Amino acid sequence: MPKADHSLIEPRAAARMTGLVLTLGFLFGEQLYAQGAEDLSPHSEAQLVAEVRAIAPGEPFTAALRLVMDEGWHSYWVNPGDAGTPASIEWSLPRGFEVGPIQWPYPERIEVPPLMSYGYFNEVLLLVEITPPADLALDMPVALEAGAYWLVCSDICLPAEQQLRLVLPVAEAAEPDDRWTGSFTATRDRLPVSVEGWDIRAERTSTGYRLSIIPLGEETAWEGDPYYFPRDEAVVSPSAPQAVSRRGSHLLLSLQESSYSSGPATRLEGVLLAPQGEAWDKDGRVRALAVDVAVTEPAGGDALQAGSGTGNLTLAVALVFALIGGSLLNLMPCVFPVLSIKVLGFVNQAGEDRFKAGAHGVAFAIGVVLSFLALAGVILLLRSGGSRLGWGFQLQSPAFVAAVAILLFALALNLMGLFEVGTVLTRLGGRVAQPQSYVDSLSSGVLATLIATPCTAPFMGTALGFALTQPMLQTLLVFGALGLGMAIPYVVVSASPALLRLLPKPGAWMETTRQLLAFPLFGTVIWLVWVFARQTGVNGAAHLLTALMMLAFATWVLGRWKAQLIDARTRLVSRAVVLVALGLAVGLAARGTRAEAAAAGSTQWQPFSQELVQQLRAAGQPVFIDFTAAWCLSCQVNEQVVLASRVIEDAFVEHNVATLKADWTRFDPVITSALESFGRSGVPLYVFYPADLARSPVVLPTILTKRGVLDVLQDVASSDLQAPAAAAITR
Amino acid sequence: MLPRSFSILPPAVLILGLALTAAELQAQGDGPEIGEQAPKFTLGDTYGKQHALEDYEGQWVVLEWLNYECPYVGKHYNSGNMQRLQESFAEKGVKWLAIVSSAPGKQGYHEPQEMNRLSAEKGSKALAVLLDPDGVVGKMYGAKTTPQMILIDPAGTLLYNGAIDDKPSSRPSSLEGAHNYLVAALEEAMSGKPVSTPTSKPYGCSVKYKN
Repeated sequence: MPKADHSLIEPRAAARMTGLVLTLGFLFGEQLYAQGAEDLSPHSEAQLVAEVRAIAPGEPFTAALRLVMDEGWHSYWVNPGDAGTPASIEWSLPRGFEVGPIQWPYPERIEVPPLMSYGYFNEVLLLVEITPPADLALDMPVALEAGAYWLVCSDICLPAEQQLRLVLPVAEAAEPDDRWTGSFTATRDRLPVSVEGWDIRAERTSTGYRLSIIPLGEETAWEGDPYYFPRDEAVVSPSAPQAVSRRGSHLLLSLQESSYSSGPATRLEGVLLAPQGEAWDKDGRVRALAVDVAVTEPAGGDALQAGSGTGNLTLAVALVFALIGGSLLNLMPCVFPVLSIKVLGFVNQAGEDRFKAGAHGVAFAIGVVLSFLALAGVILLLRSGGSRLGWGFQLQSPAFVAAVAILLFALALNLMGLFEVGTVLTRLGGRVAQPQSYVDSLSSGVLATLIATPCTAPFMGTALGFALTQPMLQTLLVFGALGLGMAIPYVVVSASPALLRLLPKPGAWMETTRQLLAFPLFGTVIWLVWVFARQTGVNGAAHLLTALMMLAFATWVLGRWKAQLIDARTRLVSRAVVLVALGLAVGLAARGTRAEAAAAGSTQWQPFSQELVQQLRAAGQPVFIDFTAAWCLSCQVNEQVVLASRVIEDAFVEHNVATLKADWTRFDPVITSALESFGRSGVPLYVFYPADLARSPVVLPTILTKRGVLDVLQDVASSDLQAPAAAAITR
Repeated sequence: MLPRSFSILPPAVLILGLALTAAELQAQGDGPEIGEQAPKFTLGDTYGKQHALEDYEGQWVVLEWLNYECPYVGKHYNSGNMQRLQESFAEKGVKWLAIVSSAPGKQGYHEPQEMNRLSAEKGSKALAVLLDPDGVVGKMYGAKTTPQMILIDPAGTLLYNGAIDDKPSSRPSSLEGAHNYLVAALEEAMSGKPVSTPTSKPYGCSVKYKN
């Protein structure tokens, strides 16, 4: 409402005008308030700010569109990701002024599966360089005007706009405006820059692009992985995972092409963000490395990852390569145990008639080829759904890795003689002299393929690279040929009595060999658990290992109380125990695949240092320190049950408590002396410092309870409130 | 009881593992590729009628991802742009199916009756509004935003997948002079020409999938 008493217009006229304004508003309401909301910039505010208090003629200065968003709301980067729109500025500047493009600080990843967006929370400055004309008059202040348009989103999105104006005086020399210096500096730190000492190359692959990040100087020992933000939309898929591999000192980032791309890009432009806590330069300042490189076609030789470069390969050549590659696969380390086990099977078959041995060879071959076709089928199926996959894709799934690990572990235990079940495993070991069924032979073919998939043999890569870019029939043919190639040696051996005769006679050595062969299988299991740990974290791996232990227990029960030697009641009980143990094993493995999400709470724990404690307290924040170690079981229980609980996390937030973690998993002299200062020589230890520097810290009990922690937080925080002035004075 | 024979285990692990992997990766899919067969689906509409993509074999089909509360969708509906498109496509015999992949409780999801009321209020001329509360079809087609448009030819081939036009903005003024990719694709395809822009990055609100 206009305030009539401050106005020159008399009250009645003011009322009439109000009516007019309302009418106009109503008429234009549809356009003005597309959202039907009164606020044109919901959940956010925009402002024009400049780094200078006054500008000088002809002297470029930096201004910014400053967006401040409500908590939980975000706006977007220049490439918004899967959805969203970047902010835009429509300038109306006085004559002669020139304005540069927006300089975007690097964004945050905003993941809402299956979508990924890139944007900013809380506050962002979008920097723009403005150059005033050289003949600008000194006495007249200049008005910079702009319309800002942005999208602000939380779980829903609202378009926002604001008309902005910034008036700056003109002086002989520009004067910095210290109100904004900090914000501008912080923003510049987030702008991607080039850093010497890095060579970035981009290569085309069958599924998109590969960025090679090559340190020219000393190697880095980063724990995390860098992330690539593609600047252009519709080039790299934002939601596809960026697989990172290391080859010597090179970091290789696999980027999947966007399904909306209009063709292969010739350049990749974007930002490489260093992993948390790392930087690209020696001073540790630059976290965002600017990338702008030409995309090259890969040079041959590495056709597996590259894929193209096989363009002029014909189907016939690819099939030959597949056959050779498939048979070479048998010599790769991952298949070798199977090969050896299979040879033992041949030794047993040597006594059988020629036709039967050959037929088993063929059944085995069918098993291998069918499994290869099944792999190809899934690849094709997923390709029709838009995913682009390569060889060994199934190992990207933790569930698959866990299943294979369990299977191989069971097989290894069986080879060790811990238990005997049914046929195929013992058959593989060639122990029982009963006739082998063809189904068993077929099944061992499937097993061989399962174990083979993590490996690639020479020639195979080229054939696969070709297959994955071809229509359905060709893909199936090449995969079939790979399987055939892998099975050929077995078929040949089993069909040839001359070769079988070369093998040693069955005897005690077979039992020894059989047990010995369990070890390469245990090795494979270790590798699979390692892969699983990389995918799901250390907690997931612990789950899988526990699952393996339950499996070992189940097989031990089976072997200890053998079916033939026990009465009906023992049989019932022991087999029930086996079922429960196996059920637990499967359940644990399944939980392990989802372990990571469950492990972390939402509290941000900063690494502990004495200086940080002082700083935080000086700034008026109480500090909670968790002295912990991965190997300390009671620490883990306290963290999971109490500290990561919703109540405590909320209490930390409510009382504005800074949370620090002193991780003593490895020896650390700083933490050791801190522990000593509290008279402790080990973890766990929980210490709560009031913000008031004059007051002494509270040590919490070793076994935490939610109630106990809440009481301490309450007491200390409320007494902090009573003496804030004292806190300020003491130091 | 444990099976008498372990023979079924390796094939079982292979099949189960592949199925799990397939399901996992399917969910991350970026949608089908242009020129390939459009993935089959069956969804119920707001009147309880089932629509299978096969039902429309031999006909042109448009899929429109819809969320009435999304300001970008609002731009096309409040201006009458979308309804005009729906009408002109219907005249050419194109079957227009709007799909709502919003999960219950999320923006854009409504009970069928409310959805019908909204469609009537907006004057939607879509043949049907299909409900995909689990997001299965949305993820199958890699739907990222509302609106997002898909064109399927009478042979069931995917011809266009992407934005409705080249003005990624929610401002009504951006409709003026916008180049409508869907219209262009349909016109080219109907006159037997290859689609010059078979895909473009869709713009709008993110599809409000189930968590």
